[in-house]
Amino acid sequence: MSTHRRIYESMLWLYPRDFRRNYGDDLVQNFADLLGDRGIRSTWARTSVDLIVTVPRYRLESIMSEEKSAATINLTLAVLSVGGMLALTTGIYPITVVFWIAAIALAFVQRGALARAIRTPSTNRRRKRIRIAAVLSLVCAAALFSYFVDLNDEKISTASLLIHNAIGNTAMIGAIVYLIAGLLTPRSSATSRTA
Amino acid sequence: MTKSDPVSFLPLPQAQFHVLVALTDGEMHGYAIMQAVEDSSDGVVRMGPATLYGTLKRLVDSGLAEELDGSPSPQDDQRRRYYRLTGLGEKVCTAESTRLSRLVQRSRSNLRPRLA
Repeated sequence: MSTHRRIYESMLWLYPRDFRRNYGDDLVQNFADLLGDRGIRSTWARTSVDLIVTVPRYRLESIMSEEKSAATINLTLAVLSVGGMLALTTGIYPITVVFWIAAIALAFVQRGALARAIRTPSTNRRRKRIRIAAVLSLVCAAALFSYFVDLNDEKISTASLLIHNAIGNTAMIGAIVYLIAGLLTPRSSATSRTA
Repeated sequence: MTKSDPVSFLPLPQAQFHVLVALTDGEMHGYAIMQAVEDSSDGVVRMGPATLYGTLKRLVDSGLAEELDGSPSPQDDQRRRYYRLTGLGEKVCTAESTRLSRLVQRSRSNLRPRLA
């Protein structure tokens, strides 16, 4: 029993520090109570699901908490976008992909109007976001087309390539974020009933 | 910052409502709340420890529940933290119950022709 308790206790390090500090002892006590009442298999079945669901959730909430300023998140977002752009320019494509995914994920966990808005039903906003995504996709396509055309031009400067890249990357991240936000925005009930 | 209008909390997330309903029985510690939730839902809702304490944290932060300074009576386990509903918590629980009962009524009346 104490081995299982120790294993669970060590897994609590996966949680944000504040949550662990405030509730660590209670969680272990609760786990021990479950072990005593329900047995090892049932306790681990319940606790494993709990860990899988709550660890990423509480981690994200910790990032979104008031303590982390919006400025820090925006700065990280900018660094990831520029990092992705530079990695693309230098041909390190896997790092570009990782940076873009991180930037998109961060944009979503940011406590911003967009993140909150996707929980508010609105058919008009849904359409508007999908339209913005379409426009940004066109901008991205144009920037990328121009970038690849420029690649064949021997006189093109690195600065010009970087500008194309910056526009293309920003538009692409924006397009993905707006498209997902648009698709996640629930339709308002009046419209969905008539549809 | 806590809100004071009970309606502004609605609809309550399922886990929060279950915990509030459990606390309408009186002061309880975490494991007792977990058991009460399981009993009241006929075993359908089985909270894990972190889900439970995450939910309790949210309820305490929003002023719907509060932590007791000690255990309610000397016979109770002194190592455990006990929780109870606040006045606002009771109002929110009542408002959510009313909202859900209206929803159930509507659902029943809409489904009655099919059930008959």
